[in-house]
Amino acid sequence: MGSLATPMGALAVGSALIAASLLIHHLVKKPEKLLLTTRLKLLLGLAVFPFIAAVSTTASGMQRTTEREFCGSCHVMETHLTDLLDPNSLSLASRHSRNAQVGPHACYTCHADYGLLGYPMTKLTGMSHVYKYYFAGYRNYTLPQFHAEVRIAKPFPNANCKQCHSGTLASFLNVREHFGVLEELEQNKVSCASAGCHGVAHRFSKRPEEL
Amino acid sequence: MIRRFLRLLAWWPAERMLRVACWLGLVALTLMIWGVVSGQPVPVVLSMSLAQMIGVLACVLFGLSIAADVGRSK
Repeated sequence: MGSLATPMGALAVGSALIAASLLIHHLVKKPEKLLLTTRLKLLLGLAVFPFIAAVSTTASGMQRTTEREFCGSCHVMETHLTDLLDPNSLSLASRHSRNAQVGPHACYTCHADYGLLGYPMTKLTGMSHVYKYYFAGYRNYTLPQFHAEVRIAKPFPNANCKQCHSGTLASFLNVREHFGVLEELEQNKVSCASAGCHGVAHRFSKRPEEL
Repeated sequence: MIRRFLRLLAWWPAERMLRVACWLGLVALTLMIWGVVSGQPVPVVLSMSLAQMIGVLACVLFGLSIAADVGRSK
């Protein structure tokens, strides 16, 4: 469920409750004059504690949006999440999801673009997903319809794979097949996650001709 | 300039606006708590956007009300 159990989530709820109790106290008591103590109380209830709540809500919200279950909470992502959580699945995505270090944040880890703007751009793209889900019809799609019609917005960049799999270490360089396509990999003309290489990440969402 | 600003605020209904700010603050805080507790996409997005906009509005109303009260007492 939510992020109440995290330190930031607890801080957000705690400070919001303190602020709310101060505001309710003011509304119930209805003081006639704005004495210094009333002003201070309102400063705490309308500025200080809400500010702490806002910052910690944003921090816990940002953290929450990187979780696998968050991405899978829209019904069109159901098959993706089921595959990720299937211990017997051999799909590229599922094998990565079983990695204890990135598993709980597998969607975000692979799909967040590398670089300075990677984080904000990924969040903006995520917002467009929310928009498309609620206002552009994705919500009414059946799973087969979604898999048939919806594709990743832009080709999956190899740089995302290289965040973990270095292209300069022996484990990469010792594989002969990499040498023939080094330039193409660099230019993103050949995808690491393509049928002839490591295989597509989410096989079930592809048409036969895409495999 | 500050005095002029305070004079301009003389008509501001400070007490009423403070009550409005309190209600807005409560709405904002409720949305924030909802986002953290539920963890679902819509509440999380609302807690990071709408809730904070309402919270800022409440804070601005509070600031103006206090400024108006200070101006009146001067």
